[in-house]
Amino acid sequence: MRVIDERPPVPVADDFAVRVRGLRMSFDGVEVLHGVDFDVRYGEVFCLLGPNGAGKTTTLEILEGFRAPAGGEVRVLGLDPVTQAVQLRERAGMVLQECGFPRQTRVAELIDLWRSYYPAPRPLGDLLEVVELTKVRDTQVRKLSGGQRRRLDFALALAGDPDLIFLDEPTTGFDPEARRRCWAAIENLRGLGKTILLTTHYLDEAERLADRIAILRAGRIELAGTTHEVATRAGLATRISFATPSALRRGQVPPPDGIDLTVRGSESVCHTGNAAMTLRLLLAWAAAHRLGDLNGLAVTAPRLEDTYLQLTGSAGDPA
Amino acid sequence: MSRTIRLTARQALLEQRSFWRSAEYALFTFVFPLMILLLIGAANAGSHLPGTHIKNTTVFVPGILAFGVIVAAYVNLGSKVAVLRHDGVLKRVRTTPLPSGAYIGGLLTSTVATAVLITSATGLMGWLAFGAAPRAGQLLTLAGGLVLGTVCFAALGLAVSSVITSAESAGPVAYASFLPIAIISGVFDPTFSGLPDWLSRLVAAFPVKALAEILQNTYAVRPFPAWDLANLALWTAGGAAVAVWRFRWHS
Repeated sequence: MRVIDERPPVPVADDFAVRVRGLRMSFDGVEVLHGVDFDVRYGEVFCLLGPNGAGKTTTLEILEGFRAPAGGEVRVLGLDPVTQAVQLRERAGMVLQECGFPRQTRVAELIDLWRSYYPAPRPLGDLLEVVELTKVRDTQVRKLSGGQRRRLDFALALAGDPDLIFLDEPTTGFDPEARRRCWAAIENLRGLGKTILLTTHYLDEAERLADRIAILRAGRIELAGTTHEVATRAGLATRISFATPSALRRGQVPPPDGIDLTVRGSESVCHTGNAAMTLRLLLAWAAAHRLGDLNGLAVTAPRLEDTYLQLTGSAGDPA
Repeated sequence: MSRTIRLTARQALLEQRSFWRSAEYALFTFVFPLMILLLIGAANAGSHLPGTHIKNTTVFVPGILAFGVIVAAYVNLGSKVAVLRHDGVLKRVRTTPLPSGAYIGGLLTSTVATAVLITSATGLMGWLAFGAAPRAGQLLTLAGGLVLGTVCFAALGLAVSSVITSAESAGPVAYASFLPIAIISGVFDPTFSGLPDWLSRLVAAFPVKALAEILQNTYAVRPFPAWDLANLALWTAGGAAVAVWRFRWHS
Protein backbone atom coordinates (compact mmCIF):
# COMPACT_ATOMS: atom_id res chain seq x y z
CA MET A 1 0.00 0.00 0.00
CA ARG A 2 1.20 3.45 -0.85
CA VAL A 3 0.25 6.54 1.00
CA ILE A 4 0.01 9.49 -1.29
CA ASP A 5 0.16 12.97 0.11
CA GLU A 6 -2.10 14.92 -2.19
CA ARG A 7 -1.00 18.30 -1.00
CA PRO A 8 1.42 19.97 -3.37
CA PRO A 9 4.96 20.18 -1.96
CA VAL A 10 5.79 23.36 -0.07
CA PRO A 11 8.71 25.14 -1.71
CA VAL A 12 11.31 25.66 1.01
CA ALA A 13 13.71 27.87 -0.84
CA ASP A 14 12.27 31.18 -1.89
CA ASP A 15 14.23 34.37 -1.75
CA PHE A 16 11.38 36.39 -0.36
CA ALA A 17 8.80 35.82 2.35
CA VAL A 18 6.35 37.86 0.29
CA ARG A 19 6.58 38.60 -3.40
CA VAL A 20 4.04 40.82 -5.12
CA ARG A 21 4.15 41.60 -8.85
CA GLY A 22 1.70 43.70 -10.82
CA LEU A 23 -1.07 43.21 -8.27
CA ARG A 24 -4.41 44.57 -9.43
CA MET A 25 -7.73 44.61 -7.65
CA SER A 26 -11.15 45.99 -8.54
CA PHE A 27 -14.39 46.33 -6.63
CA ASP A 28 -17.56 46.68 -8.70
CA GLY A 29 -15.54 47.61 -11.76
CA VAL A 30 -13.52 50.29 -9.97
CA GLU A 31 -9.83 49.50 -9.85
CA VAL A 32 -8.34 50.17 -6.41
CA LEU A 33 -4.90 48.60 -6.88
CA HIS A 34 -3.19 49.51 -10.14
CA GLY A 35 -0.25 47.11 -10.36
CA VAL A 36 1.47 46.94 -6.98
CA ASP A 37 5.01 45.52 -6.70
CA PHE A 38 7.01 44.86 -3.56
CA ASP A 39 9.05 42.19 -1.81
CA VAL A 40 9.43 41.33 1.85
CA ARG A 41 12.66 39.61 2.85
CA TYR A 42 12.82 36.89 5.45
CA GLY A 43 13.37 38.20 8.98
CA GLU A 44 12.62 41.82 8.30
CA VAL A 45 9.91 44.17 9.48
CA PHE A 46 8.29 45.56 6.36
CA CYS A 47 5.87 48.43 6.55
CA LEU A 48 3.19 49.27 4.05
CA LEU A 49 2.66 52.94 4.78
CA GLY A 50 -0.09 55.07 3.37
CA PRO A 51 -3.08 57.25 4.11
CA ASN A 52 -6.52 55.77 4.76
CA GLY A 53 -8.09 54.42 1.60
CA ALA A 54 -4.77 53.86 -0.16
CA GLY A 55 -5.43 50.11 -0.51
CA LYS A 56 -3.32 48.80 2.38
CA THR A 57 -5.97 46.55 3.89
CA THR A 58 -7.08 45.29 0.48
CA THR A 59 -3.48 44.36 -0.32
CA LEU A 60 -3.17 42.56 3.00
CA GLU A 61 -6.45 40.71 2.50
CA ILE A 62 -5.15 39.42 -0.84
CA LEU A 63 -1.87 38.28 0.74
CA GLU A 64 -3.84 36.50 3.46
CA GLY A 65 -5.96 34.65 0.92
CA PHE A 66 -9.25 36.33 1.83
CA ARG A 67 -9.66 37.88 -1.60
CA ALA A 68 -8.62 36.67 -5.03
CA PRO A 69 -6.72 39.37 -6.93
CA ALA A 70 -8.01 40.66 -10.27
CA GLY A 71 -4.52 40.37 -11.72
CA GLY A 72 -0.83 40.01 -11.01
CA GLU A 73 1.25 37.51 -9.12
CA VAL A 74 1.33 36.97 -5.36
CA ARG A 75 3.50 34.50 -3.45
CA VAL A 76 3.52 34.31 0.35
CA LEU A 77 6.09 31.95 1.88
CA GLY A 78 6.28 30.50 -1.61
CA LEU A 79 2.57 29.66 -1.53
CA ASP A 80 -0.37 30.85 -3.57
CA PRO A 81 -2.66 32.42 -0.92
CA VAL A 82 -5.85 31.53 -2.82
CA THR A 83 -5.25 27.87 -3.64
CA GLN A 84 -2.99 27.00 -0.68
CA ALA A 85 -4.82 28.88 2.05
CA VAL A 86 -4.70 26.12 4.68
CA GLN A 87 -0.94 25.64 4.36
CA LEU A 88 -0.47 29.39 4.46
CA ARG A 89 -2.56 29.75 7.63
CA GLU A 90 -0.46 27.11 9.37
CA ARG A 91 2.64 29.24 8.76
CA ALA A 92 1.35 32.82 8.83
CA GLY A 93 -0.23 34.59 11.80
CA MET A 94 -2.71 37.37 11.13
CA VAL A 95 -3.82 40.33 13.20
CA LEU A 96 -6.79 41.89 11.44
CA GLN A 97 -8.60 45.10 12.30
CA GLU A 98 -11.62 44.86 14.56
CA CYS A 99 -11.57 41.17 15.37
CA GLY A 100 -13.16 40.37 18.72
CA PHE A 101 -12.65 37.53 21.16
CA PRO A 102 -15.26 35.03 22.30
CA ARG A 103 -16.94 36.65 25.32
CA GLN A 104 -16.49 34.94 28.69
CA THR A 105 -13.20 33.26 27.78
CA ARG A 106 -10.04 33.78 29.80
CA VAL A 107 -6.68 34.88 28.38
CA ALA A 108 -4.63 31.70 28.85
CA GLU A 109 -7.61 29.48 28.02
CA LEU A 110 -8.13 31.25 24.71
CA ILE A 111 -4.45 31.17 23.75
CA ASP A 112 -4.37 27.48 24.59
CA LEU A 113 -7.40 26.83 22.38
CA TRP A 114 -5.69 28.67 19.54
CA ARG A 115 -2.55 26.58 20.05
CA SER A 116 -4.62 23.45 19.45
CA TYR A 117 -5.38 24.65 15.90
CA TYR A 118 -1.73 24.39 14.82
CA PRO A 119 0.60 21.45 14.15
CA ALA A 120 3.59 22.90 16.05
CA PRO A 121 2.44 25.59 18.51
CA ARG A 122 4.66 27.76 20.71
CA PRO A 123 4.57 27.02 24.45
CA LEU A 124 1.81 28.87 26.32
CA GLY A 125 4.08 30.45 28.94
CA ASP A 126 6.36 31.70 26.21
CA LEU A 127 3.47 33.33 24.34
CA LEU A 128 2.18 35.06 27.48
CA GLU A 129 5.65 36.41 28.12
CA VAL A 130 6.31 37.74 24.62
CA VAL A 131 3.14 39.85 24.75
CA GLU A 132 3.46 40.67 28.46
CA LEU A 133 0.14 39.18 29.51
CA THR A 134 1.40 36.69 32.11
CA LYS A 135 -0.10 38.74 34.94
CA VAL A 136 -3.59 38.68 33.45
CA ARG A 137 -3.54 35.09 32.23
CA ASP A 138 -6.71 34.17 34.16
CA THR A 139 -8.61 37.38 33.44
CA GLN A 140 -11.72 37.27 31.25
CA VAL A 141 -10.92 38.85 27.90
CA ARG A 142 -13.79 41.35 28.11
CA LYS A 143 -12.05 42.93 31.12
CA LEU A 144 -8.81 43.66 29.24
CA SER A 145 -7.81 47.18 28.19
CA GLY A 146 -7.51 48.11 24.52
CA GLY A 147 -3.74 47.70 24.57
CA GLN A 148 -3.97 44.34 26.33
CA ARG A 149 -6.52 43.14 23.80
CA ARG A 150 -4.20 44.07 20.97
CA ARG A 151 -1.35 42.18 22.62
CA LEU A 152 -3.69 39.20 22.99
CA ASP A 153 -4.25 39.55 19.22
CA PHE A 154 -0.50 39.16 18.82
CA ALA A 155 -0.39 36.13 21.09
CA LEU A 156 -3.13 34.40 19.07
CA ALA A 157 -1.39 35.27 15.80
CA LEU A 158 1.84 33.85 17.24
CA ALA A 159 0.24 30.70 18.71
CA GLY A 160 1.16 28.50 15.75
CA ASP A 161 4.77 29.72 15.80
CA PRO A 162 4.40 31.23 12.31
CA ASP A 163 7.25 32.30 10.04
CA LEU A 164 5.37 35.39 8.96
CA ILE A 165 3.03 37.73 10.80
CA PHE A 166 0.62 40.20 9.22
CA LEU A 167 -0.36 43.20 11.35
CA ASP A 168 -3.08 45.46 9.98
CA GLU A 169 -2.81 48.91 11.58
CA PRO A 170 -1.72 47.53 14.95
CA THR A 171 -1.92 50.75 17.00
CA THR A 172 -4.74 52.72 15.41
CA GLY A 173 -6.72 54.53 18.08
CA PHE A 174 -4.30 53.86 20.93
CA ASP A 175 -3.04 56.31 23.54
CA PRO A 176 0.74 56.90 23.63
CA GLU A 177 1.38 54.45 26.47
CA ALA A 178 -0.57 51.65 24.79
CA ARG A 179 1.25 52.36 21.52
CA ARG A 180 4.61 52.20 23.22
CA ARG A 181 3.84 48.79 24.76
CA CYS A 182 2.44 47.58 21.47
CA TRP A 183 5.63 48.61 19.73
CA ALA A 184 7.64 46.79 22.40
CA ALA A 185 5.60 43.66 21.69
CA ILE A 186 6.33 44.01 17.96
CA GLU A 187 10.04 44.41 18.76
CA ASN A 188 9.75 41.17 20.75
CA LEU A 189 8.27 39.43 17.70
CA ARG A 190 11.13 40.72 15.61
CA GLY A 191 13.51 39.37 18.26
CA LEU A 192 12.04 35.91 17.67
CA GLY A 193 13.21 36.14 14.07
CA LYS A 194 9.73 36.47 12.63
CA THR A 195 9.11 38.22 9.34
CA ILE A 196 6.58 40.95 9.94
CA LEU A 197 4.47 42.78 7.39
CA LEU A 198 2.58 45.65 8.94
CA THR A 199 0.38 48.37 7.58
CA THR A 200 0.05 51.77 9.17
CA HIS A 201 -0.82 55.33 8.42
CA TYR A 202 1.43 56.55 11.23
CA LEU A 203 4.82 57.76 10.09
CA ASP A 204 6.53 57.50 13.43
CA GLU A 205 5.40 53.91 13.67
CA ALA A 206 6.91 53.03 10.29
CA GLU A 207 10.09 54.94 11.12
CA ARG A 208 10.42 53.31 14.50
CA LEU A 209 9.65 49.70 13.57
CA ALA A 210 10.37 49.07 9.92
CA ASP A 211 13.54 47.81 8.29
CA ARG A 212 12.02 48.67 4.95
CA ILE A 213 9.04 50.70 3.86
CA ALA A 214 6.79 50.92 0.84
CA ILE A 215 4.59 53.97 0.50
CA LEU A 216 1.25 53.06 -0.99
CA ARG A 217 -0.91 55.87 -2.28
CA ALA A 218 -4.14 55.60 -4.27
CA GLY A 219 -3.44 52.01 -5.24
CA ARG A 220 0.18 52.47 -6.30
CA ILE A 221 3.55 51.99 -4.62
CA GLU A 222 5.14 55.43 -4.76
CA LEU A 223 8.47 54.52 -3.17
CA ALA A 224 10.06 51.53 -1.48
CA GLY A 225 13.28 50.88 0.42
CA THR A 226 14.85 51.57 3.79
CA THR A 227 13.70 54.70 5.61
CA HIS A 228 16.81 56.50 4.41
CA GLU A 229 16.54 55.24 0.84
CA VAL A 230 12.92 56.26 0.61
CA ALA A 231 13.70 59.75 1.76
CA THR A 232 16.73 60.00 -0.54
CA ARG A 233 14.93 58.62 -3.57
CA ALA A 234 12.28 61.24 -3.09
CA GLY A 235 15.04 63.71 -4.03
CA LEU A 236 15.20 65.35 -0.64
CA ALA A 237 18.50 66.85 0.40
CA THR A 238 20.50 66.51 3.59
CA ARG A 239 20.28 69.65 5.70
CA ILE A 240 23.46 71.14 7.20
CA SER A 241 23.22 74.00 9.65
CA PHE A 242 25.47 75.88 12.08
CA ALA A 243 25.47 79.01 14.17
CA THR A 244 26.30 81.94 11.90
CA PRO A 245 29.82 83.13 12.82
CA SER A 246 29.76 86.83 13.73
CA ALA A 247 32.52 87.56 11.17
CA LEU A 248 30.30 86.17 8.42
CA ARG A 249 27.29 88.16 9.59
CA ARG A 250 29.32 91.36 9.64
CA GLY A 251 30.64 90.62 6.12
CA GLN A 252 34.25 90.35 7.32
CA VAL A 253 34.59 86.95 5.57
CA PRO A 254 33.15 85.93 2.18
CA PRO A 255 30.56 83.14 2.04
CA PRO A 256 31.98 79.72 1.06
CA ASP A 257 32.38 78.94 -2.63
CA GLY A 258 30.29 76.21 -4.24
CA ILE A 259 27.80 76.03 -1.39
CA ASP A 260 24.29 77.44 -1.54
CA LEU A 261 24.33 78.85 1.96
CA THR A 262 21.41 80.77 3.42
CA VAL A 263 22.09 82.99 6.40
CA ARG A 264 18.97 83.26 8.56
CA GLY A 265 20.13 85.56 11.29
CA SER A 266 21.85 83.46 13.91
CA GLU A 267 21.56 80.23 11.88
CA SER A 268 23.13 79.35 8.56
CA VAL A 269 21.59 76.55 6.53
CA CYS A 270 22.36 74.70 3.33
CA HIS A 271 20.82 71.70 1.55
CA THR A 272 22.94 69.20 -0.34
CA GLY A 273 22.73 65.93 -2.14
CA ASN A 274 26.29 65.10 -1.09
CA ALA A 275 26.73 65.76 2.63
CA ALA A 276 30.38 64.60 2.84
CA MET A 277 31.59 66.86 0.05
CA THR A 278 29.70 69.85 1.37
CA LEU A 279 31.02 69.31 4.92
CA ARG A 280 34.58 69.11 3.63
CA LEU A 281 34.16 72.38 1.75
CA LEU A 282 32.54 74.05 4.74
CA LEU A 283 35.24 73.00 7.20
CA ALA A 284 38.02 74.01 4.81
CA TRP A 285 36.37 77.41 4.41
CA ALA A 286 36.04 77.76 8.19
CA ALA A 287 39.70 76.85 8.72
CA ALA A 288 40.87 79.26 5.99
CA HIS A 289 39.03 82.13 7.69
CA ARG A 290 39.93 81.14 11.26
CA LEU A 291 36.34 80.46 12.22
CA GLY A 292 37.34 77.37 14.23
CA ASP A 293 34.93 74.46 14.49
CA LEU A 294 31.61 75.78 13.37
CA ASN A 295 29.43 76.16 16.45
CA GLY A 296 26.20 74.17 16.54
CA LEU A 297 27.14 72.23 13.41
CA ALA A 298 24.28 69.80 12.67
CA VAL A 299 23.75 67.36 9.80
CA THR A 300 20.16 66.18 9.39
CA ALA A 301 19.43 63.25 7.09
CA PRO A 302 16.33 63.64 4.97
CA ARG A 303 13.40 62.58 7.08
CA LEU A 304 10.68 60.12 6.11
CA GLU A 305 8.14 62.64 7.23
CA ASP A 306 9.28 65.15 4.62
CA THR A 307 9.01 62.49 1.93
CA TYR A 308 5.65 61.32 3.14
CA LEU A 309 4.17 64.77 3.37
CA GLN A 310 5.53 65.61 -0.06
CA LEU A 311 3.92 62.48 -1.52
CA THR A 312 0.62 62.42 0.30
CA GLY A 313 0.03 65.89 1.63
CA SER A 314 -0.86 67.52 -1.65
CA ALA A 315 -4.21 69.25 -1.75
CA GLY A 316 -7.03 67.38 -3.41
CA ASP A 317 -5.55 64.00 -2.53
CA PRO A 318 -8.25 61.50 -3.44
CA ALA A 319 -7.34 59.35 -0.43
CA MET B 1 -10.47 12.87 10.78
CA SER B 2 -9.54 12.18 14.38
CA ARG B 3 -7.97 15.65 14.48
CA THR B 4 -11.27 17.20 13.41
CA ILE B 5 -13.14 15.24 16.09
CA ARG B 6 -10.64 16.22 18.76
CA LEU B 7 -10.83 19.88 17.74
CA THR B 8 -14.64 19.72 17.64
CA ALA B 9 -14.75 18.30 21.18
CA ARG B 10 -12.34 20.92 22.42
CA GLN B 11 -14.32 23.72 20.84
CA ALA B 12 -17.55 22.34 22.35
CA LEU B 13 -15.95 22.17 25.79
CA LEU B 14 -14.89 25.81 25.64
CA GLU B 15 -18.37 26.81 24.46
CA GLN B 16 -19.94 24.99 27.41
CA ARG B 17 -17.53 26.61 29.87
CA SER B 18 -18.26 30.04 28.41
CA PHE B 19 -21.99 29.31 28.52
CA TRP B 20 -21.97 28.51 32.23
CA ARG B 21 -19.88 31.61 32.92
CA SER B 22 -22.51 33.79 31.30
CA ALA B 23 -25.24 34.42 33.83
CA GLU B 24 -27.82 35.71 31.36
CA TYR B 25 -27.57 32.73 29.01
CA ALA B 26 -27.75 30.19 31.78
CA LEU B 27 -30.65 32.09 33.40
CA PHE B 28 -32.75 32.32 30.28
CA THR B 29 -32.02 28.81 29.11
CA PHE B 30 -32.65 27.06 32.42
CA VAL B 31 -34.49 29.20 34.93
CA PHE B 32 -37.01 30.62 32.46
CA PRO B 33 -38.44 27.30 31.18
CA LEU B 34 -38.27 25.64 34.60
CA MET B 35 -40.05 28.59 36.19
CA ILE B 36 -42.80 28.46 33.56
CA LEU B 37 -43.04 24.72 34.08
CA LEU B 38 -43.57 25.05 37.81
CA LEU B 39 -45.82 28.14 37.84
CA ILE B 40 -48.17 27.28 34.98
CA GLY B 41 -47.95 23.58 35.83
CA ALA B 42 -49.11 24.27 39.39
CA ALA B 43 -52.05 26.32 38.08
CA ASN B 44 -53.08 23.39 35.85
CA ALA B 45 -52.42 20.57 38.29
CA GLY B 46 -55.51 18.46 38.97
CA SER B 47 -57.53 19.66 35.97
CA HIS B 48 -58.14 17.60 32.85
CA LEU B 49 -58.36 18.37 29.17
CA PRO B 50 -62.03 19.07 28.39
CA GLY B 51 -63.99 15.89 27.74
CA THR B 52 -61.06 13.54 28.45
CA HIS B 53 -59.30 11.77 31.31
CA ILE B 54 -55.95 13.23 30.23
CA LYS B 55 -54.46 15.49 32.88
CA ASN B 56 -53.51 18.96 31.66
CA THR B 57 -49.97 18.54 32.95
CA THR B 58 -49.49 15.38 30.86
CA VAL B 59 -49.54 17.47 27.67
CA PHE B 60 -48.18 20.61 29.29
CA VAL B 61 -44.86 19.07 30.41
CA PRO B 62 -43.86 17.82 26.92
CA GLY B 63 -44.85 21.24 25.57
CA ILE B 64 -42.28 22.81 27.88
CA LEU B 65 -39.78 20.18 26.72
CA ALA B 66 -40.31 21.55 23.21
CA PHE B 67 -39.89 25.07 24.59
CA GLY B 68 -36.55 24.07 26.17
CA VAL B 69 -35.31 22.57 22.90
CA ILE B 70 -36.24 25.75 21.03
CA VAL B 71 -34.53 28.02 23.57
CA ALA B 72 -31.34 25.92 23.55
CA ALA B 73 -31.14 25.27 19.81
CA TYR B 74 -32.86 28.21 18.16
CA VAL B 75 -32.52 31.18 20.52
CA ASN B 76 -29.13 30.38 22.05
CA LEU B 77 -27.37 29.08 18.96
CA GLY B 78 -28.88 31.72 16.68
CA SER B 79 -28.01 34.67 18.90
CA LYS B 80 -24.63 33.18 19.77
CA VAL B 81 -23.55 32.87 16.14
CA ALA B 82 -24.89 36.37 15.41
CA VAL B 83 -22.80 37.77 18.27
CA LEU B 84 -19.71 35.79 17.22
CA ARG B 85 -20.09 37.16 13.71
CA HIS B 86 -20.72 40.72 14.88
CA ASP B 87 -17.76 40.63 17.28
CA GLY B 88 -15.46 39.44 14.49
CA VAL B 89 -14.73 36.14 16.22
CA LEU B 90 -15.76 34.15 13.14
CA LYS B 91 -13.45 36.33 11.04
CA ARG B 92 -10.60 35.63 13.45
CA VAL B 93 -11.24 31.88 13.39
CA ARG B 94 -11.03 32.11 9.61
CA THR B 95 -7.38 33.27 9.90
CA THR B 96 -6.39 29.94 11.47
CA PRO B 97 -6.00 26.51 9.85
CA LEU B 98 -8.92 25.19 11.96
CA PRO B 99 -11.28 23.33 9.59
CA SER B 100 -14.58 25.22 9.46
CA GLY B 101 -16.38 21.91 10.04
CA ALA B 102 -14.64 21.52 13.39
CA TYR B 103 -15.64 25.02 14.45
CA ILE B 104 -19.31 24.77 13.47
CA GLY B 105 -19.33 21.19 14.78
CA GLY B 106 -18.11 22.44 18.15
CA LEU B 107 -20.88 25.02 18.34
CA LEU B 108 -23.49 22.39 17.43
CA THR B 109 -22.13 19.84 19.89
CA SER B 110 -22.30 22.40 22.67
CA THR B 111 -25.86 23.24 21.63
CA VAL B 112 -26.84 19.57 21.81
CA ALA B 113 -25.27 19.32 25.28
CA THR B 114 -27.29 22.32 26.46
CA ALA B 115 -30.48 20.87 24.96
CA VAL B 116 -29.88 17.52 26.66
CA LEU B 117 -29.35 19.21 30.02
CA ILE B 118 -32.39 21.46 29.77
CA THR B 119 -34.75 18.71 28.59
CA SER B 120 -33.47 16.29 31.25
CA ALA B 121 -34.06 18.92 33.94
CA THR B 122 -37.52 19.76 32.58
CA GLY B 123 -38.58 16.13 32.17
CA LEU B 124 -37.34 15.20 35.61
CA MET B 125 -39.02 18.15 37.29
CA GLY B 126 -42.27 17.52 35.41
CA TRP B 127 -42.26 13.95 36.68
CA LEU B 128 -41.36 14.85 40.27
CA ALA B 129 -43.74 17.80 40.58
CA PHE B 130 -46.72 16.64 38.52
CA GLY B 131 -46.17 12.93 37.97
CA ALA B 132 -46.05 13.50 34.21
CA ALA B 133 -43.98 10.80 32.50
CA PRO B 134 -43.73 9.33 29.00
CA ARG B 135 -46.02 6.39 28.25
CA ALA B 136 -44.56 2.93 28.81
CA GLY B 137 -42.01 2.08 26.10
CA GLN B 138 -42.06 5.62 24.67
CA LEU B 139 -38.81 6.88 26.19
CA LEU B 140 -36.77 6.14 23.07
CA THR B 141 -39.40 7.72 20.85
CA LEU B 142 -39.28 10.78 23.09
CA ALA B 143 -35.48 10.91 22.75
CA GLY B 144 -35.84 10.62 18.98
CA GLY B 145 -38.36 13.48 18.95
CA LEU B 146 -35.99 15.64 21.00
CA VAL B 147 -33.14 14.92 18.57
CA LEU B 148 -35.34 15.83 15.60
CA GLY B 149 -36.42 19.02 17.31
CA THR B 150 -32.86 20.00 18.21
CA VAL B 151 -31.62 19.41 14.66
CA CYS B 152 -34.52 21.36 13.16
CA PHE B 153 -34.25 24.36 15.46
CA ALA B 154 -30.43 24.44 15.31
CA ALA B 155 -30.72 24.73 11.52
CA LEU B 156 -33.29 27.49 11.94
CA GLY B 157 -31.07 29.17 14.55
CA LEU B 158 -28.11 29.25 12.14
CA ALA B 159 -30.43 30.56 9.43
CA VAL B 160 -31.82 33.37 11.59
CA SER B 161 -28.31 34.34 12.76
CA SER B 162 -27.54 35.55 9.25
CA VAL B 163 -30.36 38.11 9.29
CA ILE B 164 -29.46 39.50 12.73
CA THR B 165 -27.35 42.59 12.16
CA SER B 166 -26.19 43.57 15.64
CA ALA B 167 -25.09 41.89 18.84
CA GLU B 168 -27.61 43.92 20.85
CA SER B 169 -30.61 42.75 18.84
CA ALA B 170 -29.53 39.08 18.69
CA GLY B 171 -31.40 37.89 21.81
CA PRO B 172 -34.54 39.99 21.25
CA VAL B 173 -34.85 38.99 17.57
CA ALA B 174 -34.41 35.32 18.41
CA TYR B 175 -37.05 35.43 21.17
CA ALA B 176 -39.51 37.69 19.38
CA SER B 177 -39.46 35.47 16.31
CA PHE B 178 -40.74 32.41 18.16
CA LEU B 179 -42.37 33.39 21.48
CA PRO B 180 -45.65 34.68 19.95
CA ILE B 181 -45.89 31.52 17.86
CA ALA B 182 -45.21 29.39 20.95
CA ILE B 183 -48.00 31.18 22.83
CA ILE B 184 -50.66 30.76 20.16
CA SER B 185 -49.44 27.21 19.58
CA GLY B 186 -50.69 26.52 23.10
CA VAL B 187 -47.28 25.50 24.42
CA PHE B 188 -47.92 27.33 27.69
CA ASP B 189 -51.63 26.52 27.99
CA PRO B 190 -52.88 23.00 27.25
CA THR B 191 -56.49 24.20 27.02
CA PHE B 192 -55.69 27.12 24.73
CA SER B 193 -58.39 27.38 22.07
CA GLY B 194 -60.81 29.73 20.37
CA LEU B 195 -58.39 30.95 17.68
CA PRO B 196 -59.94 31.95 14.36
CA ASP B 197 -59.70 29.09 11.91
CA TRP B 198 -57.18 30.79 9.61
CA LEU B 199 -54.89 31.56 12.54
CA SER B 200 -54.83 28.03 13.88
CA ARG B 201 -54.02 26.79 10.36
CA LEU B 202 -51.22 29.34 10.09
CA VAL B 203 -49.80 28.38 13.48
CA ALA B 204 -49.91 24.70 12.53
CA ALA B 205 -47.62 25.47 9.59
CA PHE B 206 -44.82 26.51 11.95
CA PRO B 207 -42.56 23.89 13.51
CA VAL B 208 -43.26 24.91 17.14
CA LYS B 209 -46.67 23.23 17.41
CA ALA B 210 -45.38 20.30 15.35
CA LEU B 211 -42.55 19.59 17.77
CA ALA B 212 -44.83 20.03 20.80
CA GLU B 213 -47.34 17.53 19.35
CA ILE B 214 -44.65 14.98 18.51
CA LEU B 215 -43.42 15.12 22.10
CA GLN B 216 -46.95 15.18 23.56
CA ASN B 217 -47.68 12.01 21.63
CA THR B 218 -45.10 10.17 23.74
CA TYR B 219 -46.84 11.29 26.95
CA ALA B 220 -50.51 10.91 26.01
CA VAL B 221 -52.10 8.74 23.33
CA ARG B 222 -52.86 10.86 20.30
CA PRO B 223 -53.13 10.23 16.57
CA PHE B 224 -49.77 9.38 14.95
CA PRO B 225 -48.13 12.76 14.21
CA ALA B 226 -47.35 12.09 10.54
CA TRP B 227 -48.08 15.66 9.43
CA ASP B 228 -45.97 17.04 12.30
CA LEU B 229 -42.98 14.89 11.28
CA ALA B 230 -43.28 16.05 7.68
CA ASN B 231 -43.56 19.64 8.88
CA LEU B 232 -40.38 19.32 10.97
CA ALA B 233 -38.51 17.67 8.09
CA LEU B 234 -39.46 20.50 5.74
CA TRP B 235 -38.44 23.22 8.18
CA THR B 236 -35.15 21.40 8.86
CA ALA B 237 -34.36 21.21 5.15
CA GLY B 238 -35.36 24.84 4.59
CA GLY B 239 -33.44 26.06 7.65
CA ALA B 240 -30.31 24.13 6.68
CA ALA B 241 -30.47 25.43 3.12
CA VAL B 242 -30.76 29.06 4.24
CA ALA B 243 -28.06 28.53 6.90
CA VAL B 244 -25.59 27.21 4.33
CA TRP B 245 -26.57 29.68 1.60
CA ARG B 246 -26.47 32.76 3.83
CA PHE B 247 -23.57 31.81 6.10
CA ARG B 248 -20.91 34.55 6.37
CA TRP B 249 -17.67 34.58 8.33
CA HIS B 250 -17.76 38.35 8.72
CA SER B 251 -20.49 40.90 9.35
